[in-house]
Amino acid sequence: MPRWGMAADLDRCTGCGACVTACHAENNISTVGPYQAMRGRAKHWIRVERYWEGEFPDVKLKFRPVMCQHCGNAPCEPVCPTYASQHTEDGLNAQVYNRCIGTRYCANACPYTVRFFDFFNPEWDKPLHLQLNPDVSLREVGVMEKCTFCVQRIRGAEIQAKADETPLKDGDIKPACAQSCPAQALVFGDLDDPESAVSRLSASPRGSKLLEDLGTQPAVTYLSRQSES
Amino acid sequence: MSRPSDSQINSDLLKPLLHTSWRFYLLVAFFGAIVLFGVGTWFYQAYHGYGVTGINWPVFWGFYITSFVFWIGISHAGTLISAILRLVQAEWRRPVTRCAEVITVFALMIGALFPIMHLGRPWLFFWLAPYPSERLLWPNFRSPLVWDFFAINTYLTGSVLFLLLPMIPDFAVVRDKATGLRKKIYTLLALGWRGTPKQWHRLETAMSIMAVVILPVAVSVHTIVSFDFSMAPVPMWQSTIFGPYFVAGAIFSGIAGLIIAMAFLRKFLHLETYLQPVHFENLGKLLLVMAVLWGYFVFNERLVTYYGNEPAEMAVFWRTQRESFAPLYWTMVVCNFVVPLILMGIKYTRRTIAGCVVASLCVVAGMWLERFLIIVPSLGHKYLPYAYGIYRPRMIEVIIAGATFAAMTLLYVLFAKGVPIISMWELKTPEHEPGAGHAPDTQASLGEVRP
Amino acid sequence: MKAVYALYADGYAAQQAVNRLRAAGLKDPDITVLSGRPMEEFEFGNVDKATWMWWIACGGALIGMAVAYGLAWISENSWPMNVGGLPIFAWWPNLIIMFELTMLGAIVATVITLVVTAGFGRGKGKLYDPEVSDGKILVGVENPPAASVSQFQQALSVSPDAQIKTV
Repeated sequence: MPRWGMAADLDRCTGCGACVTACHAENNISTVGPYQAMRGRAKHWIRVERYWEGEFPDVKLKFRPVMCQHCGNAPCEPVCPTYASQHTEDGLNAQVYNRCIGTRYCANACPYTVRFFDFFNPEWDKPLHLQLNPDVSLREVGVMEKCTFCVQRIRGAEIQAKADETPLKDGDIKPACAQSCPAQALVFGDLDDPESAVSRLSASPRGSKLLEDLGTQPAVTYLSRQSES
Repeated sequence: MSRPSDSQINSDLLKPLLHTSWRFYLLVAFFGAIVLFGVGTWFYQAYHGYGVTGINWPVFWGFYITSFVFWIGISHAGTLISAILRLVQAEWRRPVTRCAEVITVFALMIGALFPIMHLGRPWLFFWLAPYPSERLLWPNFRSPLVWDFFAINTYLTGSVLFLLLPMIPDFAVVRDKATGLRKKIYTLLALGWRGTPKQWHRLETAMSIMAVVILPVAVSVHTIVSFDFSMAPVPMWQSTIFGPYFVAGAIFSGIAGLIIAMAFLRKFLHLETYLQPVHFENLGKLLLVMAVLWGYFVFNERLVTYYGNEPAEMAVFWRTQRESFAPLYWTMVVCNFVVPLILMGIKYTRRTIAGCVVASLCVVAGMWLERFLIIVPSLGHKYLPYAYGIYRPRMIEVIIAGATFAAMTLLYVLFAKGVPIISMWELKTPEHEPGAGHAPDTQASLGEVRP
Repeated sequence: MKAVYALYADGYAAQQAVNRLRAAGLKDPDITVLSGRPMEEFEFGNVDKATWMWWIACGGALIGMAVAYGLAWISENSWPMNVGGLPIFAWWPNLIIMFELTMLGAIVATVITLVVTAGFGRGKGKLYDPEVSDGKILVGVENPPAASVSQFQQALSVSPDAQIKTV
């Protein structure tokens, strides 16, 4: 059974935001418009967090891409009354839209605040509706959604591998963010496979987890910038 | 203090039931209109989507959950007065028990509406119930929201029954006094009550059992409501003191709510003989004790956080105490601690009904603020600075939260019209002298008196 | 004749009436006493006091506990879900559900016992006088044998102003 995880190399990340756009395209995430975004309703399953440190002229900029960490000890899972948030056998934190009744407890419990609520029914201005991905369901108003590590791509690759009767190789599955990153900063793969790229990167001395001391056991490892080590 | 005769009690307390003035219709129309407006607003929200509220990323809970915890807290009035005072045989509780139990039942019903109202998909709220569904899925018993479902339903069932059972002898009195359609209705409601010693015994035993059972349930209900917060790793939420803190706060706000309700009843139903300043003074003493207890719990929670000096928690700590939420925070401290301590600590103001009511109004406002200040500052300032946010309630939430106060008043007015608001048979029962036997003087009765 | 009874203004007179009816040969279950409030300061108000209700409440509580345990066990094991690394059947959270349903079982058992033993809904046709609501105490005999009626009326006239009625 694979255990899916990701490594984000902050030394390579340029903060361009291509991952954000790709995620929106792949996962049928609607944009909410400037007014609703101002009111805090934007749904960026992956976001580039940007922090300014220091005073001018010694200003430093730090940024990192943050998506659902698919925690091994996810605080969002036990609190969902309808099992809409649960852990799969292959290490993913699954969000089952059909079970969600929208209590939003999971979003409060998530320390990374990577869960999003559909405040309105999603809308796409024509002709953008032609670009929707048929592999991903649309979420109606009132349910929670978040990064799934592009589970549709994972399942698609697994089904294809089974049909072709060839085993899955490392690098066969790429979530939209990893695929679109021009610097190849995001690496996805099986953490239980010691030869996979993500396992080797996660073992790097530059590696650390986000909010590690909370005990959530996230599956994403961040490799810090060389200039900061 | 000479007690009024039984027939005097009957006529005084049945007057609101048997005679209706124009003031009743005015009150019902006024509050009913506000409630209807609130209901309509909620349908507007359900139709247009949850986005019409002020909830956003990251503050996903706001006015509705504040009101939910607030009303469940108010509902602890009845349990305290009815159950605890019954068990310790405090006789001054007799005129006050039903007023308190009514608050419990209606506050619970209103409070239980909010978890449904705040859902993203409220038409699916029944998935919280454990029934064998076609989806082969049961609710997640590891979730505090499911605990809420069980606890609130148990408490509601217990409280409704605790309220209804002692109403039966009073329904029998109304049945005897009423005529026409009223007589038919109350004959049905009285369930054939006659008043044999066996019936009285069974009723009182049942009430004693219910009092013993409903106390732990009440404690568990608000503890479980506090678990909605303490089970999430949010700064200043993951505190082990939340259980007792919330229960103490609930009893505190419940007593305040009761004092306000009693003052209005006394005024509007002319119950001056029955709800006397001594009752308000006793409740005022309880309010004082609970204010001190509330202060103790807040101090406890804050000191431990302060000493722990954990960065995320201290950020929320200062947010409430010094920064953007400071005006609300210090208002809450004044309302919940300073005002009750002064007004209820000084005997002169405690003895006046006005003093008790002013202190209670402050406490009710302060406790609502307390719930708000637990929820919103923490959610807006979790761990990742990029995910900090602010919450501004919108008109919809204010209307719906405000309409619940009108709903409470409306339900109370309707109840006082249909049921005697003071338990008549409990009022007629003489006080049990502690330690003595039963009959005050035995020489008149030829039979033996069993101790 | 359905009943012969009298209304008394206070408990002392009622107690006397009950004693005199007992002296006339009646057993306690045949004597009907009705009052507007529990009168436990008098002996006649203490008949029929023994009850199994507390035990039945405990029984109800046990049933509630068993139902909760069964519900949690069956539902959590029928479709095991991994949430946050917690065990499939987690004792600490399930204890909460078990506690609530235990209490609910006790409450429901108490209420059912009360309804049954107090005879709710079965009062139709039994002896009653509306003056009981005004504080009078009714002492009487239902369905007396015709021969004994005057004897009972004699026993019930405790004082000159006792209102003796027959129905």
